[in-house]
Amino acid sequence: MTVDLASIEKFLCDLATEKVGPIIKSKSGTQQDYDLKTGSRRVDIVTAIDKQVEKLIWESIRAQYPTFKFIGEESYVEGESKITDDPTFIIDPIDGTTNFVHDFPFSCTSLGLTINKEPVVGVIYNPHIDLLISASKGNGIRVNGKGFDHQAKLESMGSLVLNKSVVALQPGSAREGKNFKTKMATYEKLLSCDYGFVHGFRNLGSSAMTMAYIAMGYLDSYWDGGCYSWDVCAGWCILKEAGGRVVGANPDEWNIEVDNRTYLAVRGTINNDVDEQKKYIKDFWACVDGQLKYD
Amino acid sequence: MVLSKQELKEVENTFIGLLKNEIGPLLKSHAGTNLQSYDDKSNGVDLVTALDKKIESIIKSELASKYPKFKFIGEETYVEGVTKITNDPTFIVDPIDGTTNFIHGYPYSCTSLGLAEMGEPVVGAVFNPHLNQLFHASKGNGAFLNGQEIKLTERPLILQKSLVALEGGSERTESSQGNFDKKMGTYKNLLSESGAFVHGFRSVGSAAMNICYVANGMLDAYWEGGCWAWDVCAAWCILRETGGIMIGGNPGEWNIPLDRRCYFAIRSGCEPKDQKQFAEAFWSHVAGKLEY
Repeated sequence: MTVDLASIEKFLCDLATEKVGPIIKSKSGTQQDYDLKTGSRRVDIVTAIDKQVEKLIWESIRAQYPTFKFIGEESYVEGESKITDDPTFIIDPIDGTTNFVHDFPFSCTSLGLTINKEPVVGVIYNPHIDLLISASKGNGIRVNGKGFDHQAKLESMGSLVLNKSVVALQPGSAREGKNFKTKMATYEKLLSCDYGFVHGFRNLGSSAMTMAYIAMGYLDSYWDGGCYSWDVCAGWCILKEAGGRVVGANPDEWNIEVDNRTYLAVRGTINNDVDEQKKYIKDFWACVDGQLKYD
Repeated sequence: MVLSKQELKEVENTFIGLLKNEIGPLLKSHAGTNLQSYDDKSNGVDLVTALDKKIESIIKSELASKYPKFKFIGEETYVEGVTKITNDPTFIVDPIDGTTNFIHGYPYSCTSLGLAEMGEPVVGAVFNPHLNQLFHASKGNGAFLNGQEIKLTERPLILQKSLVALEGGSERTESSQGNFDKKMGTYKNLLSESGAFVHGFRSVGSAAMNICYVANGMLDAYWEGGCWAWDVCAAWCILRETGGIMIGGNPGEWNIPLDRRCYFAIRSGCEPKDQKQFAEAFWSHVAGKLEY
């Protein structure tokens, strides 16, 4: 089966900007009622709008691509929903739900497609700042529908070096136990002048927006654990098309699956200098204090 | 002499014109293009560019020609121990707030123009040209985002359900008595399930932008140590005009001078007693007194 990736990208862009974006924008900050996914004092938030938007996306996609599989954050069943080699839409209706609830302007929709478990189409749309980033395998990336020259951008950024980089870090919603400890210790090492001494960290509260920002050359890298395939699938395709790379958050995880649950996403380098990128990844891993592990 | 509401509004409009017509376009066209050519300030993390200095001198001369009697304090011309904020009308200006963002092209650099009188922020304008967000206010005249008055929806303010701005800053020396360890300890207390367990933190890398986002309720609070009067003066005025409060980062500091260097901004949209309760709950997680 041959699949026209460019036309799928176009289809998802239209869906994101025309149908999904307006809902996210108009409902942001209005949802004072939300469920806490597990337990009474959790901070993993989901609103009725998440579910409504996922249904809308699923129905639109099913009408157009009835044979493709579909994995969405809200319909996902742990242990049952599996990513196969088949063409599979992997989507997060609203990435950055906490932002959405608080009206912090970085909630977005994240629409991805994998074939043979590889992210091959990615579309991310933030309606608050009207930013649409999209890509498909072999076709490069587009920002608000216009081609984006990532090599020119990378040239203006200079070389990729840990102690000159700005890194995205998010503690996530699980705030106890080993993973939380590992994250906090690693943040401290990255910042400390005795270890990584990065220029700074940023936290947007959305994995998808963060990966889009790396692809656009606004950030150098993003390190996280606990997120799911739908948080990273679209961003992964976009970043890869911009010369970036996604590896595991733990040292030596050079090749990972989309549902690895821990990720280190790194921007591209001038003239695709793979060694420079590899050195950055190794220097970064040297600051990881402990091991992130998710069931 | 105390400036009238009308005079303050005129200064606000002067700021807006200057930011929209001259400074904003400069910032926007130069962001992310200077990575190889910055000076090191104290340790290479606090980055300064030639443009920073150039923009400050443009602002200074434009404001001096219009308001020759007002004093001027800017990030680039400040002399530690010598430059003091007096009771006189004083422009307090950061040409590029979020210099690291500016150098890296992260779209959260902005220009922050403030006016203080009797040591109090009375006019403020903060412009982020990358996202085209211009926050502005003057004492008694309300606060605006791109000309539209900022009005917060009334809603509860509860520490556990809050979204808080926190920054790493550029001072990173590890030592048990140092500010870096105290900050990291505080962040951990705020996030931890056995601590405040806040909804989350956000970090945009600009003090002025963080305070503006608290002012219009996108964030609930911003806690910081190490920044300067020019980082907060403009946004402080904007915050106060929305009903938000600015207090000290250390417990019990309900009233602070502009140059306290340690700040805690809390949003409006609730009763003063809720803000007070929020402050006290937050302060209980501060891991040691920040000192500057």
